[in-house]
Amino acid sequence: MNWFKKNPKEAAMLIVCVAIFIIMAILSPDVFLTSNNISSMMFQIPEFGILALGMMVVILTGGINLSLTFVASVSGIIMALVMRDMGAAGYDPAGCIIAALLLGFAMAMGLGLLNGFLVAKMQVSPILATLGTSMLYEGIGLNLTEGSAISISQFADNFGMIGNGQVGVIPISMFIFIGIAIFAYFLFERTPWGVRLHMLGSNPIAVNYSGINVGKMLFQVYLISALFCFLATLIMTARYNSMKVDYGNSYMMQAILATVMGGTSINGGYGKVGGTVLAVITIQLLSSGLNIFGMNRFFVDMVMGAILIGVLAINFVYGKVQSHNLLKSARAS
Amino acid sequence: MKKTLVLIVCAVFAITMALTGCSTASTSDTTAESSAPAESSAAESSAPAESAAAESSAPAESAAADDTASDTTAASDSDITVVVMPKLIGIPYFNASETGAKKCAEDYGFNLIYTGPTEADATQQVKMIEDFIAQGVDAIAIAPNDPAGITPTLKKATDAGIAVIDWDTAAEKDAVLYSVHQIDDQEYGESVWGAVLEGMGDATDYAILTGGLEAANLNGWIDYGEAYKEENYPDKVLVQDKIPTNESQQEAYSKTLDLMKAYPDVKGIICMSTPTVPGAGQALQELGLQNELTVIGSGMPNDSAPYLKDGSVTASYLWDVENLGYLAAYVAYMCATDQPLEDNLTIDAFDSPIQIKEDGKTVILGAPLIITGENVDDYDY
Repeated sequence: MNWFKKNPKEAAMLIVCVAIFIIMAILSPDVFLTSNNISSMMFQIPEFGILALGMMVVILTGGINLSLTFVASVSGIIMALVMRDMGAAGYDPAGCIIAALLLGFAMAMGLGLLNGFLVAKMQVSPILATLGTSMLYEGIGLNLTEGSAISISQFADNFGMIGNGQVGVIPISMFIFIGIAIFAYFLFERTPWGVRLHMLGSNPIAVNYSGINVGKMLFQVYLISALFCFLATLIMTARYNSMKVDYGNSYMMQAILATVMGGTSINGGYGKVGGTVLAVITIQLLSSGLNIFGMNRFFVDMVMGAILIGVLAINFVYGKVQSHNLLKSARAS
Repeated sequence: MKKTLVLIVCAVFAITMALTGCSTASTSDTTAESSAPAESSAAESSAPAESAAAESSAPAESAAADDTASDTTAASDSDITVVVMPKLIGIPYFNASETGAKKCAEDYGFNLIYTGPTEADATQQVKMIEDFIAQGVDAIAIAPNDPAGITPTLKKATDAGIAVIDWDTAAEKDAVLYSVHQIDDQEYGESVWGAVLEGMGDATDYAILTGGLEAANLNGWIDYGEAYKEENYPDKVLVQDKIPTNESQQEAYSKTLDLMKAYPDVKGIICMSTPTVPGAGQALQELGLQNELTVIGSGMPNDSAPYLKDGSVTASYLWDVENLGYLAAYVAYMCATDQPLEDNLTIDAFDSPIQIKEDGKTVILGAPLIITGENVDDYDY
């Protein structure tokens, strides 16, 4: 009960998540509750979950990263190109993969640096800076690929395992996601850096006067966001055995949705990794569950919207109740 | 305790919204008509439960919705479930193919799920296919947004014993049992070129507008058409290399204006890709060149109707999109029930038999559908 009181927003998300799971399970126990379906959902969660965490860290500072999916796809394109061309030139597969990982990582960091530079040094508002870079990155990706997919199907048995392999019923990518979520939890919520991150979101001016280098912090935030993009694209490239500039495009808005649904304040300063992860799971449960019922995708979008509004409403009502109670207790004393 | 109660009430409210959405939507996706009234009554019965106490409403709702689910399955005529997935839903082209696919499901009595992403994103298609693999459907017909990216998932589906075919756009050849094509590329190219070059009469100059220089299907048509021209109309002159329009009507419009300024003697325009047809029509209409030129391309009836009617565009060579959806569902159903397909296959709903190419995989819908100013209103897409 104590945890519920301390984390009302996350608690609301947990209740919704569990409720949706139970309802789906009651409605179609023979399909929804099968190990097949559970494992299929676990395959779908990691790439989206990691992107959502990459969005969350930026939103925590009160910013937003609209170039998220293009940072991911451009660094994925670099990886796919390196693997395809080195593979064709007859290099050892392990060598190709390592080179691809290094170059893809470097690319993601480069793109993240540009975002960080614009926001931290040029003081462009994050929404404009990343809107600009998202177009720039899309253009880079289109130029590199000429709009088509870069296929690396010859790496399906080794590199592809990152996205398609599984241990028992649990996908390898799920382990990666769990690892990243734990890493994010400690980094955002259990380190001095994490405390500064939250402070930066609630009051950047106060943070500046308290002797923290705001510019450096912002740089780091956009780099971490790019790091998460790289990890997400690693899974995506492996899962689809190819990369294209618009892969994962639709995760852009969904990542913002998951972050806000998970209780993170869109103005920054408050947000829990657990909430975002729960929101990601909830969205996946809904998407898979409703798909199983053969529901029209437009209704799925409507339901997602309704759930988001519902969660926001719960948070609003709870906030009112809480401040009312505070006021009462203050008057009583 | 009060706070917890508030939380629960809100949660139940949110879930009720989700469920109401659920029961309305399933009507649109099942072939069974009889389930519709049962569903609406189920949805109604859950409505009063909303206002009841939070604790008691939860089981009542799920019971009502449970009825809904069993109704939909009980009313189906067969155990075969076929998924037909377009590139995206909610555009006229794929709405028309949905009509056809549904007709096929009625004719042959199987469950049809016609659904796709709301954006043309390959990752969303992969997600949905994975859900259908988990659900254990019998066949999937997919119009892939990206052939390469979807291959691992299609292989997964095949491994799970699901019959996989593609339609509208080809997937990778090894990944599918059959590939349903709207048109035979060679036949299409030759008939469009033949019609334009013939329609020009003695004039020699013609031009080609294309969606983009990279589009494989458009380039295929153009290559076949040009080869046909070399052989049969060697005296005709292509005034300029094929002109890319970036799949945009606006660009096709301005490029046509430029073209007519640079080459006023052009008497034939071939428009490959759908937006180029209304684009060229708009330009010629503005220049007052109705009925002066022979303009033929793959235009969508609704977009091109005004230009077809006033003669800015001569004709649109397309295919019957409804029949395409019908054929996709039909082939998928045949695969799901292990019935072999034969060349010159006759389907009751179609006028002409269906051809299968020598590779035994490519199923061709038939000859191009010629849409002119007279019959354009018969096609609503």
